[in-house]
Amino acid sequence: SGELYCSLPNPRNVHFESINMRNVLRWSAPEGTGDGVLYKVKYAVYGIGKWIRKPECRNINRTWCDLSSETSDYEEQYYASVKAFLNGTCSDWMETTRFNPLTDTKIDPPMVSVSSTDKSISIILTAPEKWKRRPEEESISLLQVYPGLQYNVSVLNKKTKKRWFFSISNNTLVVPWLEPGTAYCVSAQIHVTTPVLDSGFSKEHCIATLKDK
Amino acid sequence: KLFHFGACRVSLSMTEIRAGFTAIKANIQSRDPVRTLSILSHPHSLHKVKSPDRCCVTHHLFTFYVDKVFKHCKTEDSFVNRKISSIANSFLSARRKLGQCREQNNCVCGEESTEKFKQILANYEGLNVTSAAMKSLGELDILLDWMEKSR
Repeated sequence: SGELYCSLPNPRNVHFESINMRNVLRWSAPEGTGDGVLYKVKYAVYGIGKWIRKPECRNINRTWCDLSSETSDYEEQYYASVKAFLNGTCSDWMETTRFNPLTDTKIDPPMVSVSSTDKSISIILTAPEKWKRRPEEESISLLQVYPGLQYNVSVLNKKTKKRWFFSISNNTLVVPWLEPGTAYCVSAQIHVTTPVLDSGFSKEHCIATLKDK
Repeated sequence: KLFHFGACRVSLSMTEIRAGFTAIKANIQSRDPVRTLSILSHPHSLHKVKSPDRCCVTHHLFTFYVDKVFKHCKTEDSFVNRKISSIANSFLSARRKLGQCREQNNCVCGEESTEKFKQILANYEGLNVTSAAMKSLGELDILLDWMEKSR
């Protein structure tokens, strides 16, 4: 393809970084090269293997490229590769390991909403959505992608510092027999049993039970 | 974890199998430099197998992995070898259970599943034994993903 002899050091740590199946290729600049390095990116579906160039990531100076669209079929697996250019010379193509969107993605914590009565609090959890190309596209909850998805819920009594943990499969939880007029803080995590995927815990949502009538 | 394959039900320690594979995935897949070929997923994706054929395809695949894959995947790394034999033992017991159900004629092999499995064998035989076995082992997550998708 008319490229010069490639003596430039290689891009380093070429890997996919995936959150909720938003799949971004990332890398570090070649060692010892200052500004001015440009890159191009290609990707391949495992088993087909024909490299496909990514035009939007041709001659870019940033060190990432969003390949979510190209890797959105999570029944397939993928490779991607990056090449660096500087002052008329270039590096080798540097490849990722095989990327499986289903098992290699990270999952955000669930959304948590809480309400209370005098003696109970009700918690509604919402799993994050799979990345989608355009906002108007149909949303796919990660619940549909991972049938074994569960929620781990932590409930803390702010006064006594007593904490309960619950593990639930459906997305609502009512915690009964609580003290009136007391503040409780709720945090939740997503746990997929297999493939093993755990989100972090959400930030705490605090609410007070109503005072006794 | 209980899996339904057509009329057959098989319990499988999927969490252990997954954990074992995850621990050796990078090592095994790095031994397979051929990106342009897949044993399980091309030209026809495993995910296109219709549910009535799941039982037969699964039994074929358990047999395929036990007879043609695990035994040809010896490595110089004892950690990797231990993980492989642990996965192999899980597959052996699952195959036995599925085989028992199959003997009661609950596991019909349709034309599509027979065709699909022929394709898998053809892909396997297109490489030398060690490369084909290592590639198949590196694709274990494709099989596990398919099995779990509609368990």
